[in-house]
Amino acid sequence: MSATITIAVPSKGRLKEEALSRMDTAGYAVEPPKDARTYRAVVPSHPNVEVAFLSASEIARELGKGSIDLGVTGEDLVREGLPDSENRVERLAQLGFGHADVIVAVPEAWFDVDTMADLALVAADFRHRHGRRLRIATKYWRLTQRHFSQTHGIQLYRIIESLGATEGAPAAGQADIIVDITSTGSTLRANHLKVLKDGVILQSQACLFAPTPRAVDAERRRTVDGLAAALGA
Amino acid sequence: MNALRSFSARADIETILARLGAERLDVPVMQPADPFLDTAGEELRRRIFLSESETGETLCLRPEFTIPVCLHHLSADQAGHRRYGYVGTVFRQRRAGGNEFLQAGIEDIGDEDSAAADARSLADALTFLDELGVTAPTVTTLGDQAVFNAVVTGLGLPQGWAVRLSHAFGDRDTLDATLSALAVPPPLPDLPDDIGAPAKARDRAALVEALNLRLREAGLENSGGRDADEIADRLIARFDAVEIAPDETALATLRAFLAIRTPLNAAAAALRDFAANNGLDLDAAVAAFAAREAQMTAANVDTTAIFYDAAFGRALDYYTALVYEITLPDGLVLAGGGRYDRLLTMLGAQGAIPGVGFSVWLDRIGPLTGGDA
Repeated sequence: MSATITIAVPSKGRLKEEALSRMDTAGYAVEPPKDARTYRAVVPSHPNVEVAFLSASEIARELGKGSIDLGVTGEDLVREGLPDSENRVERLAQLGFGHADVIVAVPEAWFDVDTMADLALVAADFRHRHGRRLRIATKYWRLTQRHFSQTHGIQLYRIIESLGATEGAPAAGQADIIVDITSTGSTLRANHLKVLKDGVILQSQACLFAPTPRAVDAERRRTVDGLAAALGA
Repeated sequence: MNALRSFSARADIETILARLGAERLDVPVMQPADPFLDTAGEELRRRIFLSESETGETLCLRPEFTIPVCLHHLSADQAGHRRYGYVGTVFRQRRAGGNEFLQAGIEDIGDEDSAAADARSLADALTFLDELGVTAPTVTTLGDQAVFNAVVTGLGLPQGWAVRLSHAFGDRDTLDATLSALAVPPPLPDLPDDIGAPAKARDRAALVEALNLRLREAGLENSGGRDADEIADRLIARFDAVEIAPDETALATLRAFLAIRTPLNAAAAALRDFAANNGLDLDAAVAAFAAREAQMTAANVDTTAIFYDAAFGRALDYYTALVYEITLPDGLVLAGGGRYDRLLTMLGAQGAIPGVGFSVWLDRIGPLTGGDA
C-alpha cells in the first residue's frame, strides 16, 4: 500500500478557500494544480500528502466508503448523507468556518407554535382538520426524521423533498413548514418564517473527518495524525 | 428456510382460512408507498423497501397486508361485508436478521356489528394458532382505545391534550412523557401587541382578523394549511390553560386507569368500579366493552384466559377500539389484531367503513410446532 495519504477538500466556493487557507497556516501549503481543470493537487512540503478536490457532499460519501484518509466538509452533509455516520466516521476537529444551522422553521403567523411540543399538538390533529398530514419541505430527510420521530416522538407528518428555495415552500403551498440550513436567518425573516425554540437540529460547520476504522499501516497513520494535529485535531 | 414456506404448508394455511370462512385474496407484492407513509407516518420510511416506477410513482414492497387488502376492497368497489383471508411474504428493513416474513390473516371489512366481528376476529386468531399446532402456553392481551378515549374525555382535559394523549396511547414512553408535560402548562409565547392584546382579552373576532392580516402578509391566507381560526383557537386555549391550575386529580385518575390489568371476565366490573369511584361517565364505552365480551363467550373464547390491559394500544391513529395480541410468555408476538374503523376513510372511502383484522407471524410459529405445521 502506498504511503501517500489523501485529504479531500471541497472543490469550490468559500469552503474551498477557507480549507486551503487553513492548510496553508498549518504548514501544509497546497500547490495549485498547473491545469485548473484537474482535481488533484500536491503539498510540496509534505510529498506523502495528496489533496483531492471533491464536491462537499461527495466527500461525505467517500468518507463512508473509506476511500480517503481525511476529509473537510460540512457536518450537515455527513450526518444527512451518510447513514449511521456516528459509527462510520470520526469528527476530529471543528474548523470554525462554514457555519450553518439545520433548523425547523414554521410560519411567523403560527403564534401558537413556539416549540416542538407545540408542533406535536398541531401535527396530531392536522389530518382531522385538513384532510392530510402536516407537510415538511426539506432536503434533510434523515435529520428531519431523527429530530421529529426519535427525539420528539412526532410521527404524523410527511416529508416533501425540496432541492432548492425551500424557504419558499410554505408560501407556494407545497409544504406547511420547513427544515433547512440557515446562517443568518435573514432569508427566513424575508419569507415570514421563524425558528422554533428547540428547533435547532444541528449546529453545523466545516469539520475535519476521518473514516472509522482508521488506517492500520503505521506510516500512513503517522502522516494522517500529523496533518490532523496541524489542522487542530 | 422454514418448512412453512413450502407449497404444501401454504396449502394447509389456505385450508384453515377456508374453514374459517374467509375468501382467499392475493394482493400484489409491489404497492404504492404513499398509503403506508400517510397512515403510519414517515418513520416507516426507514423500515420499508422503497422503489420507483418509470413514471416516478413511489412504490414499496408490502410491509403488511391490512392496507393492501383495504385498498383492494375500495378499488373493487366492494359493498357490504367481506372477510378476506391472505397468506404471503411481507418485507421489513432491519439492521440485522432477515427481511422477509411470512404472514397470514383475516381482514373483516364492512360488518356493522362491531361486537360480533371483534369476537369472531379474536376467536379466529386463537383457532388459527391452534390449527397450526401451537401447543406452547400463550398469553392473550386485549386493550381498547375507545375506553381510553372515554376516560380522557370524561376528565375534561384542555383542548388538544385529549388528542395528544389519544395519539400517545399504545406507546408507553410517549404517554408517560405526555402525562408529565400535562402537569406543567407551557408558558405563554411572546406575542406582539396586535396578537397578544386580543388573545388576552379573549376577543376572538379581533384576534382572527389580526391573524388573517399576518397570514396575508406572508402569502399564506389561502395556503390550504392552518388558518386564522385554528391558530386563534389554540392561542386562546393556551391563555386558558395558564389560568386554570393543572388538575393533579385528573392526572392521578388517568394514571390509576392505565394501571388497570385484569382477566377479561372481570374487566367490565373493574371499569364500572373505576368510573363510579372517580365520578366518570363511562357507560357507553363499558356497555360496548361488555357486549363484545358476551360475544366472545358465545364464540367459545375463554375470557378468563385473556388479560385486559388498560394501557395496551397501538400508537397508530387509525386504530379506534379493540386491539389484541397473542404472545409467548417471553413477549414474542405470534399474532396481533385490532379494529381500524378510521383506516378506510383515510385510504379514500367516501363513507365510514368499519374493519377489524389480525395477522399471524408464521415464521415464529414453525419452531413451536417442530417445523411441520
